[in-house]
Amino acid sequence: MNHFAEWLSRTSVSLVIQTHEWVVPAVQSIHIAAIGVVLASVFMIDLRILGWAGRDQTLTETTARFGPWLSGALCVLLVTGAAMVVGEPVRELLAFSFWLKMGLVAIGTVVALIFQRSLGRQQVHWETARLNQQSIKALAVVTFLVWISVVVLGRLIAYDYVWGSWSTSLKG
Amino acid sequence: MEIAGLLASLEASALATGIRNSLYLFPLIESVHVLGLTMVFGTIVIVDLRLLGLASTRRPFSAVASDVLKWTWRAFAVTATTGLLMFTTNAGTYYHNAYFRAKMALLVLSAINTLAFELTVKRSVRSWDRNAAAPAAGSTVAALSLVLWIGVIFLGRWVGFSSASAPAPTDTDIKIENLENLVPK
Repeated sequence: MNHFAEWLSRTSVSLVIQTHEWVVPAVQSIHIAAIGVVLASVFMIDLRILGWAGRDQTLTETTARFGPWLSGALCVLLVTGAAMVVGEPVRELLAFSFWLKMGLVAIGTVVALIFQRSLGRQQVHWETARLNQQSIKALAVVTFLVWISVVVLGRLIAYDYVWGSWSTSLKG
Repeated sequence: MEIAGLLASLEASALATGIRNSLYLFPLIESVHVLGLTMVFGTIVIVDLRLLGLASTRRPFSAVASDVLKWTWRAFAVTATTGLLMFTTNAGTYYHNAYFRAKMALLVLSAINTLAFELTVKRSVRSWDRNAAAPAAGSTVAALSLVLWIGVIFLGRWVGFSSASAPAPTDTDIKIENLENLVPK
């Protein structure tokens, strides 16, 4: 990973980003705005599952409202995130926070995909029985905590020393 | 003169010193600040898109607003508190930072924008609550709100890049290889 990061940092795309100082903060700002949309979208679907918001709407209606914004914002995050990795490969790829964050992003995305598939196939079952299951409500809370952790870990990439030896082990 | 004294005493306070002397407090506070602001922005986008007639149009505006805005305010309280804590650690630098000042100006404009909405368009909410979009004044407020908050996010990031506001650790056994990580990006 060390060699890969160093190779990546010498590519022309990376050099362009490195030599234009405004690119990284601008891309980070778009990244932050997009994660705001992701977090709020997950939050509203989870609140609907918990019965704390949108009770005049079915779960299907709530998901139809926020699902596309969630996917769209995730695409923006993927593109801006990739730009940040290319622009500062050593900072990102050798950070413990980065890899932990990527793991949680994968979990959060898979859970969202499974949820959307399942809701599409068993709409009635979700609207009646599933919405009242404690395990589903617990899963909603856990999902939100996963995305909260993604945001926190994203900021902690700038302070990877907080992980002590876990961080330095990546740096070899 | 008075401001300079106030800023200096803020920086010298036990709270600010405590945060500066900890390796972990500033990163933790900043992470919670980002978490709060993403929730503020994400929830405000939901309300603004409703006013603009771009999303949630089949629900009354008041239903969307009552679901969402209480969380916006809670998240704002968290963001403002953590922001104030970060400010105290390096008050003089932030106070004179042009991006910080611009960000505060946008926050004031955003507050005026919200107040204008509450005092005008919101008063007649019953007449347009179920319409797909709010009256022109309401859509204008929503568009302005989106622009202002995106501006706040950008300026906030520029404050971080231009002030190098990392806490100066006084820990003596700090590893030299960790020093390069102390400048936040």
